[in-house]
Amino acid sequence: MENNIVIKVSDLEKIYDETAVPVHALRGVDLEIRRGEFTAIVGPSGSGKTTLLNIIGGLDRPTAGKVEVDGNDIANLSDNQLIDFRKKHIGFVFQSYNLIPVLTAKENVEFVMLLQKRSKAERDSRTRELMEAVGLADRMQNRPSELSGGQQQRVAVARALAPKPAFILADEPTANLDSKSTANLLDMMARLNKEENITFVFSTHDQRVIDRARRVVTLEDGKVLSDHSRE
Amino acid sequence: MLPIVAWRNIWRSRTRSLVVIGSIVIGVWALVFLLGFFRGQVNNYINNIIENETSHIQFHDSLFTEDYDVRLFIAQSENILSELQERPEIGSATSRVIVNGMLSSSNAAQGVMVKGVHPDQEQMTTGLYDKIIEGTPFDSTRRNQIIISQRIAEKLKVKIRSKVVVTFQNTDGDISAAAFRVVGIYKTHNRMNDELYVFTHIDDMRRLTLLPDDAAHEIALVVNEFDSTDVFASRLSAEYAPILVQTYKQISPDLELFNSQIRVNMIIMTTIFMLALIFGIINTMLMAVLERMKELGMLMAIGMNKLRVFFMVVYETLFVSLLGAPIGMGLGYLTLKYLHYRGIDLSAWSRALEEFGMADLVRPVLDSESYVMIATAIVITAVLASIYPALRAIRLKPVEALRKI
Repeated sequence: MENNIVIKVSDLEKIYDETAVPVHALRGVDLEIRRGEFTAIVGPSGSGKTTLLNIIGGLDRPTAGKVEVDGNDIANLSDNQLIDFRKKHIGFVFQSYNLIPVLTAKENVEFVMLLQKRSKAERDSRTRELMEAVGLADRMQNRPSELSGGQQQRVAVARALAPKPAFILADEPTANLDSKSTANLLDMMARLNKEENITFVFSTHDQRVIDRARRVVTLEDGKVLSDHSRE
Repeated sequence: MLPIVAWRNIWRSRTRSLVVIGSIVIGVWALVFLLGFFRGQVNNYINNIIENETSHIQFHDSLFTEDYDVRLFIAQSENILSELQERPEIGSATSRVIVNGMLSSSNAAQGVMVKGVHPDQEQMTTGLYDKIIEGTPFDSTRRNQIIISQRIAEKLKVKIRSKVVVTFQNTDGDISAAAFRVVGIYKTHNRMNDELYVFTHIDDMRRLTLLPDDAAHEIALVVNEFDSTDVFASRLSAEYAPILVQTYKQISPDLELFNSQIRVNMIIMTTIFMLALIFGIINTMLMAVLERMKELGMLMAIGMNKLRVFFMVVYETLFVSLLGAPIGMGLGYLTLKYLHYRGIDLSAWSRALEEFGMADLVRPVLDSESYVMIATAIVITAVLASIYPALRAIRLKPVEALRKI
């Protein structure tokens, strides 16, 4: 894999057979995402974008095809190996923030670094740096319930960035946010992307996100319908 | 970090956690109280037997207790008694002449065991006079006085100052009879003993049975250190061979049987309590896990491995369980302390209790060993209760858990 390619999927297929009738969520998807891209994966409901994100994020396994993330083939890793892989290589931002409600914003950001057994000094400086980067240095001791939706999502971004992952996967990150919070969040992500070359991959319906993305991959019926870059 | 997250998690649903902790407090308190009450009853029974019947250690001729033959006595018993009374290990000691006989009045007759006693030493050893409910102690200036139980008095229809006749076999093998005057009527908490024992002066019985002046059938000892009874008895046994020296446990093996049976019952009761507790805890923790499936999925998604998720749920369960347990044990301890001091009055059931040789005032008590047993059982229960919810938590697939609303 070339150095600047962080995600490469080839001929990816996913069939759900939970019911008597198998559902083809992905039908031979090929996709490469390079370091520093700001990519939106779009498509109507049922087009397979969340499935694709789950597979790229190591949360789900493909039925067929190859998934290489940061140079590693993750399709055949065990559950525990996948957990370890996600911890080191992938940052997640979820639609409903999913912060740990009993921890403060600072502790939420620190959490993955604790799992990685980083030193206290390193954790402290990285947490402060990230909380400043997301503009919430003054809300470090607040619990999620004391923050607005937009602020919680920014903490979630800081948490995703904490372990210095290869890329950030964001599943509908603005779905629960108002316009102002959405704009703030997208500004912040775009700045991180531009200044620190952090790779973002979104799955989204949100036109505001699509408008800001530099690359838009459209899925339909489990296939890549179009792939446009706007440099 | 895991213990901190677990600790904070249990306070997310404060009411639910407090209800579980409260139920554990009440459960453990009730268990401590019940075990203390049972132990108190057992002690009550054992103490009654020791106090009224066996003392801690007894000396007999090696064959005497087989058929209570009046000729099988301990010679020079008074010398032995004096020696024993000098020993620092012994609180009190007394000697007795024991004769099987028939006690009769003009109305009825009753088979009895006559105990000829040294009144003062008997008082110190068994508190005989404390049990007299009517009449007086022996008058040292008069002969042939007898103290009988209330039950025998009722059966023979005699009262204080009545005359009764005791018929028995003397050492020559002849049947003798002697008239006694009732000077005291006693009552204990043991119906069977009350129907069996009558007390006279040891000198009267020696004279009437033709025993030597220093003969006795029994020497009874109360030791100062109860726990050293067995060791002390075996030392005395070696020193005074061939006299048979026995502890209360050897004299009344039923005491040990009763004691061990109660110990088994206590373990069974603790197990039942813990089983009830375990299902309550599992139910609550399962609820706590199932309502946080999305969060647990997120934790696994961001890199928390299954072992950590497992231990987080285990910590939560242990915290909930082990918070309530010491409070319950502390409350139970204080309750037992208070009730031990005051006693629990069971006089409403005194007739039934007398059938079993138990007093109607129970002083609940629990030894440290039992507290350790309860604490261990709670820890085991908490660990066992944590396993199923923790397994449910790690069985989650992050991708499925994240889809939950």
